[in-house]
Amino acid sequence: MIQQEPEEDQTTKVTQEVAEVKEIELIKKALAEEKTRAEGYLASWQRAQADFVNYKRRTEQDRQEMGKFANSVLILSLLPILDDLERALDSVPPRLAKLAWVDGVRLIWRKLRENLQAQGLTPIVSEGEPFDPNLHEAAMYSKGREGVVVRELQKGYKLYDKILRPAVVAVGNGKGTRKL
Amino acid sequence: MSKVIGIDLGTTFSVVAVMEGGEPVVITNAEGSRITPSVVAMSKSGERLVGQVAWRQAITNPENTISSVKRLIGRKYDESSVAYDRKLLPFKITKATNGDAKVMMGNKGYSPAEISAMILQKLKTDAEAYLGEKVTEAVITVPAYFNDSQRQATKDAGQIAGLKVLRIINEPTAASLAYGLDKKKDETIAVYDLGGGTFDISILELGEGTFQVKSTNGDTHLGGDDFDQTIMDWLVDEFKKDQGIDLRQDKTALQRLKEAGEKAKIELSTVLKTEVNLPFITADASGPKHLNITLTRAKLEQLVMEMVEKTIGPVKQALSDASKTTAQVDEVVMVGGQTRMPLVQEKVRGFFGKELHKGVNPDEVVAIGAAIQAGVLKGEVKDVLLLDVTPLTLGLETLGGVATPLIPRNTTIPTSKSQIFSTAADSQPSVEIHVMQGERPMVADNRTLGRFMLDGILSAPRGIPQIEVSFDIDANGILSVKALDKGTGKEQKITIAASSGLSKDEVEKMQRDAEVHAAEDAERREGIEAKNAADTMAYTAEKTLREQKDKIADELNKEAEDKVAAVRSALAGDDIKAIRQSTNELSEVMQKIGAAVYQEPSSEGETPEGGEAPPSKEGEEGTVEGEFREV
Repeated sequence: MIQQEPEEDQTTKVTQEVAEVKEIELIKKALAEEKTRAEGYLASWQRAQADFVNYKRRTEQDRQEMGKFANSVLILSLLPILDDLERALDSVPPRLAKLAWVDGVRLIWRKLRENLQAQGLTPIVSEGEPFDPNLHEAAMYSKGREGVVVRELQKGYKLYDKILRPAVVAVGNGKGTRKL
Repeated sequence: MSKVIGIDLGTTFSVVAVMEGGEPVVITNAEGSRITPSVVAMSKSGERLVGQVAWRQAITNPENTISSVKRLIGRKYDESSVAYDRKLLPFKITKATNGDAKVMMGNKGYSPAEISAMILQKLKTDAEAYLGEKVTEAVITVPAYFNDSQRQATKDAGQIAGLKVLRIINEPTAASLAYGLDKKKDETIAVYDLGGGTFDISILELGEGTFQVKSTNGDTHLGGDDFDQTIMDWLVDEFKKDQGIDLRQDKTALQRLKEAGEKAKIELSTVLKTEVNLPFITADASGPKHLNITLTRAKLEQLVMEMVEKTIGPVKQALSDASKTTAQVDEVVMVGGQTRMPLVQEKVRGFFGKELHKGVNPDEVVAIGAAIQAGVLKGEVKDVLLLDVTPLTLGLETLGGVATPLIPRNTTIPTSKSQIFSTAADSQPSVEIHVMQGERPMVADNRTLGRFMLDGILSAPRGIPQIEVSFDIDANGILSVKALDKGTGKEQKITIAASSGLSKDEVEKMQRDAEVHAAEDAERREGIEAKNAADTMAYTAEKTLREQKDKIADELNKEAEDKVAAVRSALAGDDIKAIRQSTNELSEVMQKIGAAVYQEPSSEGETPEGGEAPPSKEGEEGTVEGEFREV
């Protein structure tokens, strides 16, 4: 009888140990899961934080750009009107050319041009220059020195250091000119 | 972790987008544009040009400017479509040793994949500049009808450009993703894609979260550019009828006409008529000529009707190939700039008998879908927790029954906001924090969420104590409001459950009410503010008169006292004008007094308050004032 008790104790002890080991395993597993989850949260948080920082930086950049270029849409929409005004002045009938009234319109054109220049608008030089797709848009080939802008079809403009509207030009195809 | 970009590699132009903060964002390229022409060129000096710059010199360098390379990618030289395109495209197309189609640029042969890689390279560089970090992975879209060889070639292009292509997805699938259609149950989706140069119709089936392409059809040479051409032709014909001159002979005039025609087409999507106004379009012996033609939407629709109807045939065919009837189509998605035209939308809506998905920018929707797919592959999309917003403004009651907002409606949560308030009366011992929800400026019209008191405020003149009130909403929408007396350190707070049971309808009703009553609410609020300002002015005036009595001339004193009395009596009534008037008059007198006091040698360095009222509102006991906005 005395011997049985220790046996029983042994079994209970073993069962207890098994139970403890099992519990430890469960806890370990749960801990591993929680760890993974926590890492996931940290990663998401870091990502969201990074997105935010980048967004802030870019918004700040955009804001500074806007300061300078806020008017670009408006000015761009005025350019066709400036074009038309110049076309009108370029084609004054000879018999009217001396009229004071024509001078008046020319003064108005100058005023408009100066106003826009004061806001950062500068014309792009094209005729006679080598064709540069960064500044010019080729609309056609024409007789003339190869690779050189032969004729300007539409004036191009820069706003500060950015191209607002490229110059639309006719580029020389190397024909019809005496080769030097 | 680097970002995965979504790329719509189009025939005529490409778009790049990326997920940011859980939402797709289109990336602006180095030239400041959201779209990049799919054009590559080799200049005469051997410089490689990509995008807008390449497009600009195309006419002067047609043989070395490669456009629409998508028409050739993954195809064999002997295919019929290649033969067709060879006639249309100005650059040389040759046969590679393995039978593939190859293009010549600058006397060197390139595979279409290499050309596309150059475009992808530019998109990658621009994305990196925009994001401020390296980009190494991408999702690229292709037409649903692309075969294995074309898909593989597109993947190769990505690799050559230094991008690991996580997935190639179909353009119509991307468009469906952009509209969130993947969240729906098994459905049939029709994607109608009318772009600049091509028309594509695809029938997709969504089942168990995946999209399957059931059929595709279309017209590879029908698009918005054809619409523009039709308009231009009409303008030329009208001008000829009217003025007897054929503008087709004048390249410069044609250039202006093309632009003006496209502009008119776009305007007519929102207005019913527009004027095409081109002064000095040309000239003849008799002088300059002007083009001034009115184009109505009705006339435009007449001109393009045939082209729009031409799209219906392929749609019918695609449905039949997918064995579906129009009734069986659950969703219709619009892609491509030309789908902005009301006539196109009308025809498609009429054909399917359903409302169209068209809210997302049709030029960008495919790239956006690609970005969403990229986000999903990176595990970003499913991790987003922050999608809730507060539906109604949260605030508290301040002097005069005014509702002062702290967290405006539609703020993304979790979020918190604090503001410093003060007492309304001298020696006020406690403040009541009355938390409300709603858009109206008056407390009575909003909904009470909770109230609590913070007491133990040390005796002080009104406006001096600093009570910091903080509103904090957690990710579950639970609001905690805390009031802290910065002087005593005493603190009280309450917690309010999420949205306290307001249904969506109730929320909308409150928003509508706010709009309807906006004008009268504004007036009432102004009235209260005028009253508060008057009261404050009177209070400080009285204080100053008391404290600076010796320094003020008797008559000035009397004048001030009269003005104060005037303000007090105006306050007894409701005439806002009278209140404002009397306040202004009192203010003027107080300024005179202030000037007078400053002339006097100052005693004990005390600075009179003069005409300056501390920015606080007067009022009843127990009400918290709303000023002291500390940033």
